Amino acid sequence: MNAAGFALLALMIGAYVLLDGYDLGVAAIAPLTTRTPAERAAAMSAIGPFWNGNEVWLIAAGGALFALFPKAYASAFSGFYLPFVAVLWLLMFRGLALELRNHFKNELWHTFWDSAFFASSAALIVLFGVALGNLLRGVPLDRRGYFSGTFAFLLNPYAVGVGIFALFALAQHGLTFLTLRVDGPPARRARRVQSIVWWFVLLAYLLVTVATFVLRAGSVHHAAWLAFLPLPSLLALGAVRFFAARGEERGAFVASAAFLASLLLAAAGTMFPYLLPAYPARAGGLSIYDAAPSPSALATTLTVTIVGLCAVVAYTIFTAGRMAGKIRAPE
Amino acid sequence: MGTAVIADRLQFAFTIMFHYLFPIGTMGLAPFIAWFNIKAYRGRDPEAASAARFWTKVFAVNFAAGVVTGIPMEFQFGMNWAPFAARSGAVIGQPLVMEGVYAFFLESIFLGVLLYGRRQVSERIYVLSSVLVCLGSWLSGFFIVATDAWMQHPVGYAVAAGGRIELRSLAAVLLSPFAWWQYAHVLTGALVAGGFIVAGVGSYYLLAHRDESFGRRFVRAGTMVAFVFSAIAIFPTGDLNGADVTRYQPVKLAAMEGLFASQRGAPLAILGMPDTARETLIDPVFVPDALSFLAYGNVAANVKGLSSYARTLWPPVALTYYAYHVMVGLGTIFVSLAALALLWLLRRKLFGARWLLWMLMLAMPFPYVANEAGWVTTEVGRQPWIAYGLMKTADAASQNVAAGETIFTLIGFAGMYFAIGVLFLLLTLREIGAGPAEAPL
Repeated sequence: MNAAGFALLALMIGAYVLLDGYDLGVAAIAPLTTRTPAERAAAMSAIGPFWNGNEVWLIAAGGALFALFPKAYASAFSGFYLPFVAVLWLLMFRGLALELRNHFKNELWHTFWDSAFFASSAALIVLFGVALGNLLRGVPLDRRGYFSGTFAFLLNPYAVGVGIFALFALAQHGLTFLTLRVDGPPARRARRVQSIVWWFVLLAYLLVTVATFVLRAGSVHHAAWLAFLPLPSLLALGAVRFFAARGEERGAFVASAAFLASLLLAAAGTMFPYLLPAYPARAGGLSIYDAAPSPSALATTLTVTIVGLCAVVAYTIFTAGRMAGKIRAPE
Repeated sequence: MGTAVIADRLQFAFTIMFHYLFPIGTMGLAPFIAWFNIKAYRGRDPEAASAARFWTKVFAVNFAAGVVTGIPMEFQFGMNWAPFAARSGAVIGQPLVMEGVYAFFLESIFLGVLLYGRRQVSERIYVLSSVLVCLGSWLSGFFIVATDAWMQHPVGYAVAAGGRIELRSLAAVLLSPFAWWQYAHVLTGALVAGGFIVAGVGSYYLLAHRDESFGRRFVRAGTMVAFVFSAIAIFPTGDLNGADVTRYQPVKLAAMEGLFASQRGAPLAILGMPDTARETLIDPVFVPDALSFLAYGNVAANVKGLSSYARTLWPPVALTYYAYHVMVGLGTIFVSLAALALLWLLRRKLFGARWLLWMLMLAMPFPYVANEAGWVTTEVGRQPWIAYGLMKTADAASQNVAAGETIFTLIGFAGMYFAIGVLFLLLTLREIGAGPAEAPL
């Protein structure tokens, strides 16, 4: 039951990364794909109807962590208090930028909020990446399971590397989405930028994967299948290039999503059964069995959440299907 | 109580009170949007369609501010109240995750359709979307109130080894009568606000001699909603919410009423200032026996006063007392004003009665005050408990977050929320200024 809870949580975070990932990516890379305010407006309206629903996955995953693993929720958010407040403020700033931009027809107003939007999106991606990097590497925990390290500890080269990798990977994800949703100059530029970014993704992927293997080699014994995961990851990454080169936008977007999904699977597999692995790795960490609710409470939460999410997926697909269609950016 | 706990409480109070300003608007306005959309669809009524679009734009500004200020709420339990979150997460995390999964998704995704999809979806789906947005915002309110109601009156739980609070019955948590009456009262409060906002904006158009056809429509609809729900806010929802407080939280009741000494035939204090040092009300205006009657339906019933309880179990008396009296006082004014406006509407004189339109327009901010005052009563009155009878607030604050950190982030939130507040007012006033006549979406 605890493992099922872990799987559900990983699934919800995965959905968040795949969905909000593309709108974060579209924004972070927008300085390279758009030149005029009208083009930026087209890029924004490509994500306008969806970003809020995508972000709800983060809120829902936060709630699920709270209900399923209260101890980990309490330890993580109080332990990383200040970095977490930074994430909250960036999320708020980003939401404001997207909502406020179109209320005035004034070029300076647009430029200000567009820049705020791009910068906060890029910063969020890097921060999420750094957070994931630290989860993979482990963090110092005291006896009660609370973070006992320093801020500087979190900014280690490995975690920062994962942050930069996240920026490339989600930029690519955003680019594939942009070519799918928008026509005209931004899409043409996106294709060009994407064929370059792809190489950065590949390079960063290889470096991070090797570093992760070195870092966790001694502590992940339970899952030999992890060693084979780079195969589907590389296949998916190859497929991104293959479809993008042939102008099959939908294929490229799906391949990029598959690439991200395989990465998250690898991350979840590396962490399991810990929610907050300790550093150094032999110290264990806060696992899914630590102070978890009773099996019946977990079962209730799982059932209620899964039933609700099925409905969410159904109406997300239904509305997204009706709201699809290309947005034309002016030539 | 240490500085850290005070800082944590201040931050939570500030962020949630500011956040709550926006759900009042979304819960209160959503039914008007659905109503105007249904009218437009069924009656081929283009003016109703414009009205729906206009309120959708006002709603969207509210929703955006509500979302950005709501994000921190989901995580503050873990950030500032880690021991409470770790102990009770299995219970209170449950309605919170349901809020995300069953309500917030619904509201967000279908608002996307309302704002961006008017040309892409059929008219029927468009109307349905506005109903679903309304449903989403109301459900959202329910799950949040259910979370709070559990903290007010814990049910459906068991205390496991190590003090951990286990979920025994989700049904008991969600079907708790305490939650239902509190929710009914909260939703009613939002609808009173919605009614006064719609009537107030309509009054503005009539007073300014512009968009007068819309103005009449808004004043008519708003006045009716404001009257019906300000009456329901007093009876039955307020009354029965009060009955739950009487039964489960008698100390809070005594603080709300400023009743220090237990007595038979307790009087109801309409005015007066509580003096906790001398345990008396200064300059009181009493209605004899009325408190006994309201609490127990019997003029001779004994009502326990604060002095029957240890001082360590008292909530902050003055704040609870004043907040409660502000809410009740305003509620009485709302029902009188709405009744007057309704009477003038039935006499077909309202649209020309400028003095009354002025009053309706100026009434707009006060339902917000009343809603917030009600929450202050219920939450401050819950002290010193974070979960009534189970865990003290003083034991619930994060040990590993320093007071300085919280004060620093509180100042940050204050700055950010000031900017959000200014932008919210600016954008809302701009939408109202642009008017409903040709509101493109």
